[in-house]
Amino acid sequence: MYLMSASLILTASISSCSKDPLKNMTDEESRIYVTNRADSVDFTTYATFSIADSVAVISNTSNDRRELTDYDKKLIADVSAAMVAKGYKLIARTGKPDLAVNLTRIDNTYSSVYYDPGYWSGIGGYYDPFYWGYGGYGYYWPSYYQVYQKERAVSIDLIDLKNPKNNQLVAIWNAMLRGSGVWNINNVDSMVTAVFAQSTYLKTSN
Amino acid sequence: MKSLKNWILMMIAFMGVQSASAQMRSPLSVNVDYSIAQPLGSLKDYTDKTSFRGWRAGLQYQLNDQLAIGIRSGYQEFFQKLPRAVYPIKGGEISAVQTRTLQVVPILATVQYQLTKPDAKVIPYVGLGAGAANMEYNKYYGEFSDKYTGWQFMATPEVGINIPFGQGSPLLFNASIQYTYSPYKIQEITNYNVVQANVGLRLHIN
Repeated sequence: MYLMSASLILTASISSCSKDPLKNMTDEESRIYVTNRADSVDFTTYATFSIADSVAVISNTSNDRRELTDYDKKLIADVSAAMVAKGYKLIARTGKPDLAVNLTRIDNTYSSVYYDPGYWSGIGGYYDPFYWGYGGYGYYWPSYYQVYQKERAVSIDLIDLKNPKNNQLVAIWNAMLRGSGVWNINNVDSMVTAVFAQSTYLKTSN
Repeated sequence: MKSLKNWILMMIAFMGVQSASAQMRSPLSVNVDYSIAQPLGSLKDYTDKTSFRGWRAGLQYQLNDQLAIGIRSGYQEFFQKLPRAVYPIKGGEISAVQTRTLQVVPILATVQYQLTKPDAKVIPYVGLGAGAANMEYNKYYGEFSDKYTGWQFMATPEVGINIPFGQGSPLLFNASIQYTYSPYKIQEITNYNVVQANVGLRLHIN
């Protein structure tokens, strides 16, 4: 019987032979760029946009706030340039833009609390719809928004300012940057380029 | 599990009567092989790389000069990393480096028929194994894994040769080719088809 036990131990130790894909993975390889869109929306019906002047930082360890670090400035500049390259015209927040761009850095690294975009909207420090000229409104996060946990991420949201529904501003597109190094300024160019390139439907009628 | 229990009972019974049969080698043997496996069919759509990370080990009991039964386990890992690409998902897109792995741990009952008497210089054989395999499918998008584990039926016919290290030696060289099938279905895999080559040793111990 000792042989049988030996073979059982052999079998139990099998998994130790496996190759760990996360070892030797570069930061670039670890990152994923997820884009989600509202299916019913025709993106060519929008012409103008405005972008937030700072980046919201939401965290499960400290108070949520807005920041304007060098990283944030670069993110704002890159996303604006990408929207312009898609044909949308950048105008002032007060000029009644069709679309609002909200930028958010998410820091969920220190616990595994589930995180749901709906939860941000109630938090002070996140963009109050008042910022976009819709005092008293809330945000509506459709079901295509995903749930993440235990990581740092960056979210770029396109909000429809033209068609509010039931006192809510509807998010029509979201890009989520996830993985190692998403908060590193050197990666902003490639990440922003990737999410706009893969969203081929995001364009104006021009 | 009932068949496994039967097998253990049979094993104990045969151990008791082994001295009754006059054989060239003791009837109980252990074998260990290094394995290389090539995916076929739909498994190739998931990973088409030959796996060089595999082994198998077993116990075998000789019922007479030519017929033997046994039990065998082992491990095989398939691994392939794909460069960054954009994949469609429900309601959007995902840009990622995909790492695709499949780890297979079979537990099989085996039967083997040797085509010559045990005093031959080369002992060709045919064999069949059947049982269950633990499959761990893990597709990584960047550092984020999409993992499924489960058990599935597995059957594997085999042809091979044993070459004793000298006449009557309890130690034999083994080389074999086996075909493995499992009706395993997950994501893009519609069944598990693999051709596997094994080289190793068999030692008669008791």
